[in-house]
Amino acid sequence: MLNRNLPVGTRDEFGATAQIKERMINQIQRYFRERGYAKITTPLLEYKAVFSELDLKTYQPYQLLDEQGETLVLRPDLTLPVARVMSTTGIKTPVKWYYSGDVFRVKKKLSGSYNQIAQAGIELIGYKSLKAEWECLVAAVELAQALQITDLKVELGNAKFVPLVLAALPLNEIERRNLQTALYAKDLSRYTTLIKPLATSDFYPFLKVWPWLFGDFATVWQQLQLLPKIKAVTAICEELKETQIFLQQRFPQQQLTLDLSIASPQTYYTGMIFRGYCQSAADYLFSGGRYDQLLSSFQKTLQPAVGLAFSIDDLVARTITGKPVETTLIYFKTSDWRQAEALVRKIPNSSLCLADNLKEARRLAETAGSRLVDVTGKVVQA
Amino acid sequence: MSALKIALTKGRTEQQVIPLLEASGVDCTAIRHKERRLIFNDLPDIHFILVKGPDVLTYLNRGAVDIGIVGSDILSEQNNQQYDMLDLGVGKCQFVLASTPEFDPNQIKRKIIATKYPNITQRYFQKIGEDVEIIKIEGSVELAPLVGLADAIVDIVETGTTLRENNLQVYARLQKVSTQLVVNQLALKQHQTAIATLIQRLSTAKQ
Repeated sequence: MLNRNLPVGTRDEFGATAQIKERMINQIQRYFRERGYAKITTPLLEYKAVFSELDLKTYQPYQLLDEQGETLVLRPDLTLPVARVMSTTGIKTPVKWYYSGDVFRVKKKLSGSYNQIAQAGIELIGYKSLKAEWECLVAAVELAQALQITDLKVELGNAKFVPLVLAALPLNEIERRNLQTALYAKDLSRYTTLIKPLATSDFYPFLKVWPWLFGDFATVWQQLQLLPKIKAVTAICEELKETQIFLQQRFPQQQLTLDLSIASPQTYYTGMIFRGYCQSAADYLFSGGRYDQLLSSFQKTLQPAVGLAFSIDDLVARTITGKPVETTLIYFKTSDWRQAEALVRKIPNSSLCLADNLKEARRLAETAGSRLVDVTGKVVQA
Repeated sequence: MSALKIALTKGRTEQQVIPLLEASGVDCTAIRHKERRLIFNDLPDIHFILVKGPDVLTYLNRGAVDIGIVGSDILSEQNNQQYDMLDLGVGKCQFVLASTPEFDPNQIKRKIIATKYPNITQRYFQKIGEDVEIIKIEGSVELAPLVGLADAIVDIVETGTTLRENNLQVYARLQKVSTQLVVNQLALKQHQTAIATLIQRLSTAKQ
């Protein structure tokens, strides 16, 4: 019976879902193409070693062996293959890539999760300026607007913030790691116990609010004033503030939030991180950030880089409203073929009715739940 | 703002948590008089569904609910990745390794352990450097060593009565268990104020 079943975690896509998905990917790709980006495509199959930077427990890949016994995986991530290309081909930087494709992550069986996830995004390589982050953010917001996401919230953060603050605390390595784990898991019960020994420290007022250091930009900024001055953290904060001012000027209506309490969404991020979500979505719609340590050029020098990826499936799920689309079938005689084609182009969601006679055409229209028109566009009564 | 959706583990957890929720200002009248209802969306700001413990994370991970109330045994067994934000201080019990009086934990053999919690069991024996064979049992685990299916069991014990009644004794104490409030990572952003308020009130109520 396996010849009629799908493996767990996979699905077929057809009809409205497949169409919306295709349209969205095309729209995103066209946007980046018109903005001067070049396309990059990498294979579905890669050596497992390419993804050694990932936490493979979270991004568990499908694995197989090649004929030499080397472990191959279906790519669980799209940025690391680009890093591989950059470090082995001698492509001159700076470069702006756009891509789209599927990643594969084995998730908990029978949990309603899908293991094949469509993404589309960009990688800007060789740019150390903050302008690269801003370019990603502008693209993200403009595309969200084009995709009619009206309640988008853009969340900013920095992958270095938590490690830098933790390093400044008077704790030993184990205490620091425990505190980080409790903070990232938002395990408030444990976190509160762990910060108690620091009650007399200058950091204590800040530590008390740290797990809640996310939300509306102005509020978080105010709470941040509780943090004693750490030079490296000040630089991060200035960058975030500049970004907020830039985005407010560029998109005055855009809601901005700040999160300075989370783990970086990818282990390879080294600087600013950004994500987008809306009230009605079950997951983030896009995410990205700076990753300066990942890429080394052909000459083994490090390359600064920033990336952004849209989660296509979440965007599609948000767009499918459940309302059936009205479709039209055009019944025509072979001699009227050209006229019928012209009508298809004119009527949205219409197509040619490939029936030999009117009786058959009526039956097809009824089965498909479509209205039936003739070549003049007049509705054919049932 | 849409209502906060909570999946509450039905049964004993539900009974233990309702007084805490009520002390936090949540009206639980409908759940108290639930009859056969499983979904409670009468209140404007907070909705409940009653589900089995192992299903709480399934609803939470898919974003079908914003908050889950479930035992730490299940969170640990299912490798929870969502925010485990508050220990509600109820449903306290402990994992133990138990068996008949004849069981010798130091006997040199690959032991057979029966349990409802294979991941927790595996992690425990890995930690002590022992490899065991695990048999997954769905309920009444204490039967397994009595009928010779397993050498010992890993199970949750509250008072120890069931173990004693079955002539089993405790050979090791593993992790402690209590009821937790778990929050979907994105829902925390989407309902920040409502969730912060609920956590604040529950923290006060449990004291």
